[in-house]
Amino acid sequence: MFLEFVEGPLWYASAAIFIFGVSLRLIEVLTRGMPPDLSAPRGPGWPGALRTLFSRSWTAEGFTRGATFHLVAGYMFHIGLFVLLLFAAPHVVFLEERVLGFGWTPAPHWLFILAADLAFAGLALLWLRRVMHPVMRKISTFDDHAAAILTFIVMFTGCMALLMSHESLRAIHMLTVCLLLIYFPFSRLMHAFTFFLSRGFTGAAMARKGVQA
Amino acid sequence: MARMKFFCDAERCIECNGCVTACKNVNEVPWGINRRRVVTINDGKPGERSLSVACMHCSDAPCMAVCPVDCFYQTADGLVLHDKDICIGCGYCFYACPFGAPQFPTEGAFGSRGKMDKCTFCAGGPEADGSAEERRKYGANRLAEGKLPACAEMCATKALLAGDADVVADIYRERVAYRGAAGMQRGWGVAYGKPGVQAGKDMKGKAAGKD
Amino acid sequence: MSDIAAPSPRLRYRRAFRISVLLLAFVLIVPLVPYGLAATGVQLTNPGADLWREVRQRVQPYEATTQVKDIDGAALINTWGETWREFRSDRLVPIGGGILLGTLGLIAAFYLIRGRIRIEGGRSGELVPRFSVNQRVVHWFAAGLFVILGLTGLVLLYGRYVLIPLLGPEGFSATAAACKEVHNLFGPIFPFAIVGLMVLFGRGNRFRWLDVKWFIKAGGLFGHRIADSGYYNGGQKTWFWMTVLFGLLISISGLVLDFPLFGQGRELMAAAHVVHAVIAVVFIAASLGHIYIGTLGMEGASESMTRGYVDGNWAKEHHNLWYAEMEKAGMVGVDENALEEVRRHDDIDFRGFGSPLPKGGDTGH
Repeated sequence: MFLEFVEGPLWYASAAIFIFGVSLRLIEVLTRGMPPDLSAPRGPGWPGALRTLFSRSWTAEGFTRGATFHLVAGYMFHIGLFVLLLFAAPHVVFLEERVLGFGWTPAPHWLFILAADLAFAGLALLWLRRVMHPVMRKISTFDDHAAAILTFIVMFTGCMALLMSHESLRAIHMLTVCLLLIYFPFSRLMHAFTFFLSRGFTGAAMARKGVQA
Repeated sequence: MARMKFFCDAERCIECNGCVTACKNVNEVPWGINRRRVVTINDGKPGERSLSVACMHCSDAPCMAVCPVDCFYQTADGLVLHDKDICIGCGYCFYACPFGAPQFPTEGAFGSRGKMDKCTFCAGGPEADGSAEERRKYGANRLAEGKLPACAEMCATKALLAGDADVVADIYRERVAYRGAAGMQRGWGVAYGKPGVQAGKDMKGKAAGKD
Repeated sequence: MSDIAAPSPRLRYRRAFRISVLLLAFVLIVPLVPYGLAATGVQLTNPGADLWREVRQRVQPYEATTQVKDIDGAALINTWGETWREFRSDRLVPIGGGILLGTLGLIAAFYLIRGRIRIEGGRSGELVPRFSVNQRVVHWFAAGLFVILGLTGLVLLYGRYVLIPLLGPEGFSATAAACKEVHNLFGPIFPFAIVGLMVLFGRGNRFRWLDVKWFIKAGGLFGHRIADSGYYNGGQKTWFWMTVLFGLLISISGLVLDFPLFGQGRELMAAAHVVHAVIAVVFIAASLGHIYIGTLGMEGASESMTRGYVDGNWAKEHHNLWYAEMEKAGMVGVDENALEEVRRHDDIDFRGFGSPLPKGGDTGH
């Protein structure tokens, strides 16, 4: 009964809030506008946008040593998470049956275990550093902690339901997923979509000025 | 109440695997699950014997003792059955079983161990007798229809006996008496230079050791 | 023509008598022949008995084949199964429970009798750096994993006896399924956490003679005379090496159990389970002591791992030799918010490997 509610009305509501909220936030960013750049453009903006979009995936020279922890743990988490989200067998089935109508080959068992372990370890290490490092502790807001903890809880409940044989465990996982979807547009998790815009804008603005950024 | 048991007469088993085939057919056992198997000892040598092994439905079942979720139960007939809804697929019953009866599908969710499956003496599971749900999960429930397990019914030589332990014991006792102790002694290894009493010239069959 | 007449009745009688005696002797003696032969050592036992005795041995000299492709499929009887079952049900569960509850009881009794070990001189207000950011991150990472793995493992071992009465069979089945999946997924991460602990906490953990003296004085648990101690005292060093040894053994046995894809037979799995379970019980019991001291048991201890700094008087009382070195290096009374201190505390180069002393200081006491 609870499972039907969570996979039915709650799922639709949270998916709607997610799509609606993300779109609204993106439109908000795009229509914000900036004061016009009155200088003569040195070149088109779009090559710089593309370049910066990819170049920001690694640290600038001289900063790598200080950022090693975040680079390693960050990539562990994000790559693990995407492999989990997109290629874990139950997710592929869910996407095929309820969202897209088509599916793809899911990941083999060993790859799933590897991705899940990397994702859990990366997220735990990142959040622990946020709590332990004096500077990060001081600048972290409720949103920072909530996003990390909520994501961890979603992954944890997913792990609990791995045997795929108890409705209660599946329902708990779906519930936390819906909560995350509702929370998403109002939080820093929007970086998943806005990082295109921020990197692109910085690159384009710099390219227009004739600067490699 | 009748205590149900299996018994495989090693003197009669001809390794035809009819019991294995019957079980897989009647219970629609998926690929890779082997509820029953035939083990042949000293294949090709004098004294070759075969035994058909599945769950022995022990009185003090080790599987029942080690299960962390206590999913086994013993029926009034003495059969050891389990509830797949409760099973978590940990594998402990398999480590404890002397006969290797518990089987696990390796193609469960994510390729990890799925729910345990084993010989049920064709008695199904905790669901209602003969229901579609029971059939899907546990296979045939022949006992509820008053029949005996398919493996024993199918055995070509009546090596594999199944049913009331007293009746099975009576049948076997009769066979032992008929064969006589000499049948066991004579000719087991007479040919090929092993010591023993010579078989009489009129003795025939396996008991004469002329194989 | 013969003169032989038909035998006289007397002769016939005598012949009949002789034949009867011979027949009687024959009937009486011939059945004794097998016994006679047995006495001479000819084998007349049931050869089947030998074969079936072999079948039940642990070491199998007979050859068996089967058509199924299971590992161990050809083994007729696995005698180790019963050994393992007796170990788990009759020894591990009761004795392990006794060890765990007994440890909890001992700690509770100690707290009630001795109370919290206070900083005798009171807090000095001066901070001494103790554990860097990376050390603390790795410690809490390992600690969190330990708690998750330990709790899920205990549910799998004791849940049947403790939780089924509370949750019912279906409720407990869901709990146990969740615990099994979490245990099996987080397990492979644990060896990495142990390696992290070894790397970042290894320096200074070698046993020295002063640790023996520290043990003799029981480290100040009873009475107030604490022996000399460096960066780590004898108890901490013991805990470190226990963690390394137990952690590695439990990781290896856990990996054997978690990935039965490499042809592990039942004997190997049961043996791995014995190692895993025994070490787990001892490890958890020891960790209870560690957790107690680090939280409730000793004033001023927990901030070493949460904040990274400890009070000067606490350091003087519990790690006097290390405190003396820190004082000499000018690291007593640091400002934890100062930029250089924050940078040094970050230990991004892993140069210090946890030791807050600059090069040249010997924290290996």
